[in-house]
Amino acid sequence: MIVHSVYNFLKVKVLAAAALVAALACPAAAGQLPSEPIVAAGGRLTVSGDVSATMSCAHANTPPNAAACTPDTGFFNYTDYKYSALRLFRVDLIANVKDTRRLAVLAEVRSENAGTPSPYGLYLRIKPWLAHDFDIQVGRVPPTFGAFARRSYASDNLLIGYPLAYQYLTSLRPDALPANADELLRMRGRGWQSQFSVGNTVAEPGMPLISALHWDTGVQLHTAASWGDFAASITNGTLANPLVSDDNGGKQVAARGTLRPVPGLIIGASAARGPFVTTHAGEAAGVAAPNSHFTQTAVGADVEYSRGYYLVRAEAILSAWRVPEIAAPYIDAPLRADSIMVEGRYKIRPGLYAAARVDHLGFSTVTGTGRTDSWDAPVIREEVGGGYSIQRNLQLKMSYQHNSRAGGRTKENVSAAQLVFWF
Amino acid sequence: MRTLACAVALVLVLAAPHPAGRAALSAATNGAIRGRVELRHVATSPERRPTVSDLATPPPLDATDYLKSVVYLETAPRSAFDMTESTRHAVMDQRNETFVPHLLAITTGTTVDFPNSDHIYHNVFSLSKAKSFDLGRYEAGKSRAVTFERPGIVRVFCDIHSHMNAFILVFNHPFFTVTDTEGRYRIDNVPPGSYNVIAWNEGLSSDPKPVTVPDGGTTELDFALR
Repeated sequence: MIVHSVYNFLKVKVLAAAALVAALACPAAAGQLPSEPIVAAGGRLTVSGDVSATMSCAHANTPPNAAACTPDTGFFNYTDYKYSALRLFRVDLIANVKDTRRLAVLAEVRSENAGTPSPYGLYLRIKPWLAHDFDIQVGRVPPTFGAFARRSYASDNLLIGYPLAYQYLTSLRPDALPANADELLRMRGRGWQSQFSVGNTVAEPGMPLISALHWDTGVQLHTAASWGDFAASITNGTLANPLVSDDNGGKQVAARGTLRPVPGLIIGASAARGPFVTTHAGEAAGVAAPNSHFTQTAVGADVEYSRGYYLVRAEAILSAWRVPEIAAPYIDAPLRADSIMVEGRYKIRPGLYAAARVDHLGFSTVTGTGRTDSWDAPVIREEVGGGYSIQRNLQLKMSYQHNSRAGGRTKENVSAAQLVFWF
Repeated sequence: MRTLACAVALVLVLAAPHPAGRAALSAATNGAIRGRVELRHVATSPERRPTVSDLATPPPLDATDYLKSVVYLETAPRSAFDMTESTRHAVMDQRNETFVPHLLAITTGTTVDFPNSDHIYHNVFSLSKAKSFDLGRYEAGKSRAVTFERPGIVRVFCDIHSHMNAFILVFNHPFFTVTDTEGRYRIDNVPPGSYNVIAWNEGLSSDPKPVTVPDGGTTELDFALR
């Protein structure tokens, strides 16, 4: 009941916000809206914005509207316990304050569903040598790993939903641990509200493979050449659980390289490793191994090719979490998850495009009492849709998404619309 | 700004033959209008959209072209429509993630080539009412062309690099010019007569200023914008 009320409240907020954006977008008012970044202080301060209002036909705990829109009780699109990526009003304000070409502070403040704004990114960028493409970034820095995390803005995302690896919540948590394989298997397909007996025993959302919605804090180095670039970072959290403050005394190391062998082709590879279990959960587990032993290790490969009116992307990610062996039946092997995503876009005419994405998330098996199964339920997501630019910086997107899961609440069909404004 | 741009577009579309020009043409020598456009507040420099997700400092952009304006006759002498012109071509290059020139003024029927001189892809497009097009992604050394048949203001962008933008002003007469970066201009070969002249910069236009072009002479006309 409470959950339902929250959804209704959010629904009203999202619709109101969408109406606001639509009103602002009308020709009479559009003249007052910026279409370029706001520049002040002689070019030292630049501010841009990204506003998106996303609505979907499905809501939790309500009867189905139609066959194409089943109740949203599968929580396939939840980014955390409260918010669905398909029912979201998001405002991002981004500022760049530069002193010289060598020094800049970049900040992004984000508000979701009219909530309290919080810093999504905030870091100092140092360019020690003007003649070289080498930058040092310190603070809450952009993700090093993978291709999608840095283009998760509504204005960059071809569709409305996110790739599974970057959003779908697995049952694993950094602050709560399964005592044994049986406990883990009981949480299959329940990542939106996972509960284990060791550590924090309150039901909370699990972790995605990589969080596209929170950034990590640390130091990042980047260098580039005409044929590619390379980035490396040391941060407090992990891919799945980026942090501002360290919660386990361990650091994640991540690296990514891209090659551009021919125009239009970008090939990327990423790797990351860092301890993910919180100190509190590690202590509660009572195992002899140090917390730094329980890591998330991930590797990824991605490719993008574009030419003319076509754009095709593919990304594969393999993540493995090592969890403490607490009780029998033991979880004695790393818990692996693999994701593969392919998406494409075709521009039909100026301002109008069609896009599609196919996405799969699979999991390794564990053996419990009398049962061997994947430790979380595999998921397949297909999404088709498109976008129409009402004006250059005002876009309407629509999509239809089908999710299926081999466990728990197994199917969900959702239609969604998104209005995006940016400057 | 958008309202003003629409107004200017309307003026361009409605630019009509001016009877005085035709009357004067038969027995007179054409003159010229020259002067300077002063920009009291220079248009916003072409700063990139700050994106915290970029991993590197982007190279600075050249703002020089933003100092250029277009000066044109609000109504064209009728003789403009007697002129026969060969096939017209213009070029808007894509170089260092910038359209060069940033401001292009052409007559209807002109074909503009958009070569890519960068080592990366660009994707030129416009959603303007006067001309809507999307050239897709193409690499260095390749060029694609668009013919502009209707007068108006065409805003040109790159779909990949949001900081890239340019203006193409399409006129249905040849009595216009682009100033230099100091704002100086000269419109030659104007038939003697009385006209209204407008200066335009980055979406803002001046009020029409009346001017009389004498037989074979040159008239001075200055503008102050913003």
